[in-house]
Amino acid sequence: MTRLQIPIQSATLKNGLRVVIAPDAIAPVVTIGVYYKIGFRLEPQGRSGFAHLFEHMMFQGSENAAKMQHIKLINSSGGVLNGSTMYDVTNYYEAVPSNALERVLWLEADRMRALKVDDENLRNQRDVVKEEVRVNVLNQPYGGFPWLDMPPVAFRNWANAHNFYGDFADLDAASLADVQKFFRTYYVPNNAVLLLLGDVKPEEGFALAEKYFAPIPAGAPPPFADPKEPPQKEERRGHVEEKFGTLPAMAIGYVLPSRRTPEWFAMALLDQALHGGRAGRIHRELVLEKQIAVEADGGIDDLFGYNGPTQLTTRILHKPEYSAEATLAAFDTVIREVQEKGISADELQQLQVKWRSDYYSTLEGGRGGYMPRYGLMHLLACFTLFDHEPQLVNTILDGFLEVKREEVQRAAQKYLRPENRAIVFRTPVKSDAKEAA
Amino acid sequence: MATREAEVPTFAPALTPERPVTWPKRTRARLSNGLEVVLAEAHSIPKFHGELYFRAGNALVVDRAPSLAEMTATVVRTGTAKRASRQIEEDLRRLGADLGTNAGQDTSAISFAGLSESAEPILRLVNELAREASFPEGEFERERRQKLEEVKLERTSPGFLAGERLRKVLFGAHPYAQVSPSEAQVAAYKREDLQSVYGEIYTPENALLMLVGDFDPPALLKTIEKVFGDWTGKKPVAKDTAAPPKPRGRRVYLVHIPGSVQTQILAGCHAITRKHPDWLRLGLTNSLYGGAFNSRLVMNIREDKGYTYSPRSGVMPLRQYGYFSVSAAVRNDVVAASLTEIFYEIDRLRSVPVPTPELADAQNYLTGVFSMGLATQEGLLSQFSTVELNELPGDYLETYRDKIRGLTAEDLLATARKYFDSANMQIVVVGDRAQIEEQAALFGELEVYDNQGKRLE
Repeated sequence: MTRLQIPIQSATLKNGLRVVIAPDAIAPVVTIGVYYKIGFRLEPQGRSGFAHLFEHMMFQGSENAAKMQHIKLINSSGGVLNGSTMYDVTNYYEAVPSNALERVLWLEADRMRALKVDDENLRNQRDVVKEEVRVNVLNQPYGGFPWLDMPPVAFRNWANAHNFYGDFADLDAASLADVQKFFRTYYVPNNAVLLLLGDVKPEEGFALAEKYFAPIPAGAPPPFADPKEPPQKEERRGHVEEKFGTLPAMAIGYVLPSRRTPEWFAMALLDQALHGGRAGRIHRELVLEKQIAVEADGGIDDLFGYNGPTQLTTRILHKPEYSAEATLAAFDTVIREVQEKGISADELQQLQVKWRSDYYSTLEGGRGGYMPRYGLMHLLACFTLFDHEPQLVNTILDGFLEVKREEVQRAAQKYLRPENRAIVFRTPVKSDAKEAA
Repeated sequence: MATREAEVPTFAPALTPERPVTWPKRTRARLSNGLEVVLAEAHSIPKFHGELYFRAGNALVVDRAPSLAEMTATVVRTGTAKRASRQIEEDLRRLGADLGTNAGQDTSAISFAGLSESAEPILRLVNELAREASFPEGEFERERRQKLEEVKLERTSPGFLAGERLRKVLFGAHPYAQVSPSEAQVAAYKREDLQSVYGEIYTPENALLMLVGDFDPPALLKTIEKVFGDWTGKKPVAKDTAAPPKPRGRRVYLVHIPGSVQTQILAGCHAITRKHPDWLRLGLTNSLYGGAFNSRLVMNIREDKGYTYSPRSGVMPLRQYGYFSVSAAVRNDVVAASLTEIFYEIDRLRSVPVPTPELADAQNYLTGVFSMGLATQEGLLSQFSTVELNELPGDYLETYRDKIRGLTAEDLLATARKYFDSANMQIVVVGDRAQIEEQAALFGELEVYDNQGKRLE
């Protein structure tokens, strides 16, 4: 068995900025990422959707590179760029020909040091974000299902339970003062990690990081609200209308154990057993064998990238001739079976081989052929920000390969219980899409 | 030719000298049964990615039913003479492999990826699917019922409805007009039809096997000969197809979805295929128009006006014909305003030469992004596939960057005039009729449809 080893070097600048470099000579391309340890979970109350709106503002101009220049400078260097807001981190990343490394670092440092945006930029991006919400959620069949439907049903702490894309009233209320305050509070070097992957010499990378980022002053350690949930005592259920789609849907979510505990490794394997494609137990039972569902998939959303309460979620679209209760009963049969009988040695071995194979693919790509090393970047960032241990990229695989059959069964018994789950039913307003206009 | 320096802010560091871009060598072979093989090494991870392509898809068999090759591909993975569906899925997992079967208009394919240590058993499974698929009755029936639900569901997606209508308008009686079957057509699918499509399309003479990854090409080629060597079968017979219509003048097609809170715009016109000598210049012109984040369209209707989140344009190259299209999902009250800007930017590219710095930006973008594909096995596979499936010159990848850099503002002006056929663009808008009909009608004679494709008064 060939094991992939990623060479990793890391350092911390005087202002607290962590720098992680993973060099390789595969192609003359370098991937650069800056991760800030703030996501939509801990955005300010009364400002739902703000972390994401703010992410858009980071492309609107900084002291030495006005609006349009950020995008233009990367594209015209032959590279691509984007950003994304997640539960507990927000990232900004570029993949460029390696001769543009210094330029990208200058640009990232400029916006970390001095964001420069005005009311017009904010109005513009508020409009853009609303169209983003419409195209992804409000005007799409099953838009936002279940990632936006589940939190208010499953959780009680506002941090975990609010609308992460943002209520339009909250987006409208967001002001330039909010933008500047959020920037000063969370976008400080001591709350971030810089990642350089691919065609970069480590000594050169560290020198450039020092040159452009060291002059940025450290900020006060950011305050973080406590995302802890009160204990859950019984199953929670909620209902949402489906405006466009024709099939009834449901999502079932179970709260996960803490990251990197033995139970968490076991849950990850259990997730594979349940949701691993067409061989996964849920798809096999509900779609292939009983033929109740048209789609049945799911998993742990961003296994390595969360730092607060999260769930293992199954998403089911079922045939209208089956009731929601009948569908749920079929799902529960799958859960009961793994709780009562566990998984066979052969199944566990299959799962572990597939796990290793998938892990390598995550590290290499993760976002299609044109964003090399997105997955490696993401894991290094999360292991640095949450665990202070980027080398986990090379060792964490062992934890999954060492999981035992009994541990998978025990995890199923302990975590896949009704009082640890929430269910959202998304029901079509009309039973059939056909209608006379 | 060196990277051209574009206009940059005063303090931005200059680009340092470029590192050479080198594409891995391809090992090519043709087995005695006609199977073409292309192999390339890439050692980024201890895995490989592959595709077994067949050079025919839905278009070849559309006279029997739309999407029949796709349905065939779906059922191919559900059973062989030796393995039942569940066995196939578990064996894949045991080998650390992923596998997909699919078909488009011009190709059918079995795509796969897995650990290098299991290359041979994975190839054996691919071989079995390509030669010995058994189309079990129960599996076929289930997939057919699944498909019925899927075709109902896709009629609720604005993006699907827009694409479907534009294809009908641009391709008329040509097979490319058919993107999806109706419920009645799915209900009429027969297992025997799938088997005959399989027999015609899945043959070694019609196939191309491509693999990129962590392996030794000569050794892998031996394995491939061993596994696929005794397969036999002829190319399918090509069929004559009706010529697509040439729509003259702008027309507007409104697909009505009651209660829509946004409007999906999609406008398009005929263009060219990848084999056409103008392909690269059209690619650069498109990139400048709406193919990149810093393109004119995105800067205008997103970054300046905030009408939309995701505007873009592209050239869709099918094997026989290609078409240019531009899309944006916009706020209902700015449908007319968005169309005005969409055409303004098209007309500007047709009227005024692109300033040199902007041209250099676009050239750097395309040539840079082109080499991103070098960094991953999937990226390489996709680039090599483009070359092979379109029968592009052997040095296509190696000469692409210089050719893009050699284009001038005059080339782009001529290209925009030739292919951005502003006066004859066909416009589809998908949304709530009551909110957008008046705006849409400003741009041409209007036809209104429901989401089932029925014309409304």
